[in-house]
Amino acid sequence: MKPIASPRRTTVRALLATGLLTGLALTGCTKSEDSSDDKATGQQADAGQEVSSPGADAGPACTLETYGGEKLDLKNATVGFSQSEKEANPFRIAETASIRAEAKKRGIKLLTANAQSQFSKQISDVQDLIAKGADVLVVAPLNSDGWEPVLRTAAAKHIPIVTVDRKINAEPCKDYVSFIGSDFVEQGKRAADQMIEATGGKGEIAILLGAAGNNVTTERTKGFVDQIKAEAPGLEVVFQQTGEFAREKGQSVTENLIQSKPGIKGIYAENDEMGLGAVNALKGAGKKPGDVKIVTIDGTRNAVQGIVDGWISGVIESNPRFGPLAFQTLDAFTKGEEVAQDIVIKDSAYTGANAESDLGKAY
Amino acid sequence: MTSLTLTRGQVDRERLLRLLQEYGVYAGVVVLLVFNFVFTSNFVSTENFRTQAVQVAPVLVVALGMALAIGTEGVDLAVGSVMALSTSLLSLYLGYGPWTATLMAVAGGIAVGLANGSLIAFLGVQPIVATLALMVAARGLALVLLPQLEDVRDPGMASLGSGDVLGVPYLVLIAAALALLVAFVVRRTTFGRQLLAIGDSRPAARLAGLPVRRVLVVVYACSGALAAIAGVLATARLTASDPTSLGTLMELSAITAVVVGGTPLSGGRIRIGGTVAGAVLIQLLTTTLIKHDLPPSWTQMAQAVVIVAAVYAARERGKR
Amino acid sequence: MLSVTGVSKLFPGVKALSGVDFTARAGEVHALVGENGAGKSTLIKVLTGVYQPDAGEIVHDGTPVRFTTPLQAQQAGISTIYQEVNLVPLMSVARNLLLGREPRNRLGLIDFRRMNRQAQEALHGLGIRVDVSRPLRELGVGAQQMVALARAVAIDARVVIMDEPTSSLEPREVRTLFDVIGMLRERGIAVVYVSHRMDELYEICDAVTVLRDGRVVHTGRLADLERLRLVSLMLGREIGEVRSEGLTKFSGSHRAAAEPVLQAEGLTIRHQLRDVSLTIRPGEVVGLGGLLGSGRSETAKAIAGALPTDAGRVSVGGVPVRAGSTPAAIRAGISLLPEDRKAEGISPGLSVRENIALAALPRLSRFGLVDNARVDRIVDTFVKRLRIKSAGPHQKVGELSGGNQQKVLLARWLALHPKVLLLDEPTRGIDVGAKAEVQALIDELADDGLAVLLISSDTEELIEGSDRIVVLKDGAVVDELTGDAVTEDALMRAIATEPSTSSTSSTSSTPSASPQSAESVGSTHD
Repeated sequence: MKPIASPRRTTVRALLATGLLTGLALTGCTKSEDSSDDKATGQQADAGQEVSSPGADAGPACTLETYGGEKLDLKNATVGFSQSEKEANPFRIAETASIRAEAKKRGIKLLTANAQSQFSKQISDVQDLIAKGADVLVVAPLNSDGWEPVLRTAAAKHIPIVTVDRKINAEPCKDYVSFIGSDFVEQGKRAADQMIEATGGKGEIAILLGAAGNNVTTERTKGFVDQIKAEAPGLEVVFQQTGEFAREKGQSVTENLIQSKPGIKGIYAENDEMGLGAVNALKGAGKKPGDVKIVTIDGTRNAVQGIVDGWISGVIESNPRFGPLAFQTLDAFTKGEEVAQDIVIKDSAYTGANAESDLGKAY
Repeated sequence: MTSLTLTRGQVDRERLLRLLQEYGVYAGVVVLLVFNFVFTSNFVSTENFRTQAVQVAPVLVVALGMALAIGTEGVDLAVGSVMALSTSLLSLYLGYGPWTATLMAVAGGIAVGLANGSLIAFLGVQPIVATLALMVAARGLALVLLPQLEDVRDPGMASLGSGDVLGVPYLVLIAAALALLVAFVVRRTTFGRQLLAIGDSRPAARLAGLPVRRVLVVVYACSGALAAIAGVLATARLTASDPTSLGTLMELSAITAVVVGGTPLSGGRIRIGGTVAGAVLIQLLTTTLIKHDLPPSWTQMAQAVVIVAAVYAARERGKR
Repeated sequence: MLSVTGVSKLFPGVKALSGVDFTARAGEVHALVGENGAGKSTLIKVLTGVYQPDAGEIVHDGTPVRFTTPLQAQQAGISTIYQEVNLVPLMSVARNLLLGREPRNRLGLIDFRRMNRQAQEALHGLGIRVDVSRPLRELGVGAQQMVALARAVAIDARVVIMDEPTSSLEPREVRTLFDVIGMLRERGIAVVYVSHRMDELYEICDAVTVLRDGRVVHTGRLADLERLRLVSLMLGREIGEVRSEGLTKFSGSHRAAAEPVLQAEGLTIRHQLRDVSLTIRPGEVVGLGGLLGSGRSETAKAIAGALPTDAGRVSVGGVPVRAGSTPAAIRAGISLLPEDRKAEGISPGLSVRENIALAALPRLSRFGLVDNARVDRIVDTFVKRLRIKSAGPHQKVGELSGGNQQKVLLARWLALHPKVLLLDEPTRGIDVGAKAEVQALIDELADDGLAVLLISSDTEELIEGSDRIVVLKDGAVVDELTGDAVTEDALMRAIATEPSTSSTSSTSSTPSASPQSAESVGSTHD
């Protein structure tokens, strides 16, 4: 069952799938990821990779000596990758695809696992990867806490671990080597800058929050709100409601927003999907592009297209392509070189100025 | 003398309690409306009423199917996943035109419903277990068919999502028509009466020679079909197929609407008017909190309070 | 011991009790009688804390009390055995028996071995041998009732209230029950005894209180009250009237056609029925005799397609009926009035109207739409014909008295114009007036040419109502009584002859229930 090929074949498969509903669904889940990866890999090739690090010497560093373990050549090593969530959104798709592509490029054997948003599964996934002979691990953690049992196993075998996109609560260079990821507070700040520019720093604005209890939400909110306070006292945040990172919720909430606060000047959406929902709501209410300025974070193709169409003022990228940097870090580390414990990737931004030309880079 | 007054007080209290149980949901809607008329700026506008009605439409359509399932003393937890499956199928078949796509989406919903109904009616699986299994399976299948969000650019779909007749949005018209249809089916058809008898007492219905299995299968097929229609409506409104998040926790909203509306979980009775009011009540509650920019966690707590109140009322009713 | 004065209880629209005085004295068995709807059940619920009275007071052991929950009443030593067994069907017999009083081991967990042993001993004392570790629901109704009784006795009860305790018991079990009641009396326990069976009342009770329409119409020593006087008090009719109508409403034999309309051959269900055959002719009432667990209800259910059979054929008017399908049996003209009216008969939450029309719905519909006018006509006809008393066709059946519920069920079946009517305990738990009406109706239906199968634990009813009696024992036909042989004596002899070799039924063993063994039951948990 690999759907999405030619339309006609897809139809046949869909029919089949509908008929065999129950039996297929469970086995189908796992297969879907392969297919989506294939698709995303293609996309990725078009977009190219662009990852830059703000210098490894910014923070404390880590070496093989302090961490423990022996030198090895990454080329002959087996790398295990544990993904946290189903590759059903552009970010996860691009992330996994990037890791796979980099492993392929370097000719390194890669083992992958997907925790399907279940933390207990991720723990056993990682243990499995170790058992299957992974020499180094790249982990996209679902949670920050609860990693002790796995880390103990890994530490006993001196397996270097790099976490990507989310940090874990453990001691760097002891329990794991490095964290590679974006600075979400910084993303919020940059979004605020864009909002200030788009609105001229005056008027009432609203925030579509991400899912509650998520560090991405809190950090993107903090960066934005602090920056607005500091830089544009004329902008007033009059509305903060959750859109749960989903387009539908973003749309529903925005529909209510524009009715109860018709004078709203700007909407800051903490991810692209909610921002696109907001665009839907504005269209439905008969607004024109640019009536309400929208700034979002992530950098998916749809959102960047939104800039081109005039509905969205700016998109801050949250780069999911950890492959090159993760492998580069591991390569250096296993050779015995010094690597930074916190590697913050630089995210680019899309505005009216570059959206059209950089549309291909969006994921 | 004292005993007499006590007695009268008792009767009044019981009558009041019963009135509250019967009409509490309508009172709740009125209270929220009055509150918003007074305290919410720009609440009284056709645009706003339109928005609220459009937002409530998919929830209501799902709740109608849920009411049927609950009327048989069952429940359909698969409705949210059926919405996701529906949106996936819709997106896949949109190349053949919106009608074919809608037909396929509804067929998918019916297929899930038939699977649910068969498990329940023929294998004797508990509804909560059977539909939980299909909830997982249907969501999985939805993501196999469409692994990620896809925009819907079909003009037919777009007009379904935002068009109207004399100012009444299509979505609202469709939901209202379905509510009338389901109410008619429950009240006037043999099927509806048999459904309630099965919900009231399964053994009695069986001994009375009712086609218990067939009715159950049809009930879950209807629930599946309605959930699929809700999926189509939600897709049209969103102009995108999002099988990952479409319909998540929809089963909870639908059950809440049904129960708040006065349909007892113990089956044997279905209140469609109450279900409509229940769905509206939840919508108004959410909207009120959003419009006053209260913390999102309050919304969840307010919903919890409403559910607890409804379940308490249902318990009181069940004792009679 | 336990008394109430001036108790009133109101329900919406009904005054269930008004100014009732009632005293249960220590060491006395007090009969509480009245037609259904007279207020007996309500009074019992007031005594046991299920309901709170709207007026009046309850005095227990000399002090005014107010029970707000059944548990409080239970803790005060008031035990109840309800008409319908009120236990947890899925739990084991032992768990039910010792519910809330389970023996604990040192860890505070239930000591299952000790619990099962205690339960076994308690039941043996009452003459019941069952596997106490099995779920209660696997037992027959009678055995379940005995478990309920054992439970009440085992609790350190000061007052035991029995609501129709014998309605599903075997004569042998009734004897055991009476022995236990005698023992309770000797120990100075107050017994409140509710029953419709007059013989039992006169055998076991010392005092009587008659309720009618929520009021006490008589109270005093039972021995001083003539039977006919008691009946007239209950019915609120004059003695002459009652006497002239007799105690049962059956007229005698019916003229039956020659060719049987129902033919059942070789019905067999593993562990339940063995090769049961019977025929019924139009206009004939065939009784099904036998003890509890002899397979009477199973035979009726097998004929009606409600129980799947392993072997056997059923045909109506020579046309075979598909086995194991209720709809098929109904289409063929077989209707079953089930034994367990509450669980399998009525749809309690639906209205009188819906209940009557339920089985006939497809015939009252056109293109799947219910023809309300036709339904109204049918309902109206039967409400009048069967004299169903309700607040109106839209009242819930669950709120009606037992007798009216039974009439609603009869109406449901008669609306189908059946050829064969299977009546399983049609008069159980319904008041005297309704009982007479139902009996008269059965006669009338037979006269109209309906084939009737009658199952009744009331021997008098069975003898007088049936033209012919097929006697079952341990799931097989052992005798058939016809013509002049349809007598109580002959029935007893048929049941008594040929002692059973196997004791498959859970209640078939008959240990002697000596007062001593019963005593040990009571003392086990003192």
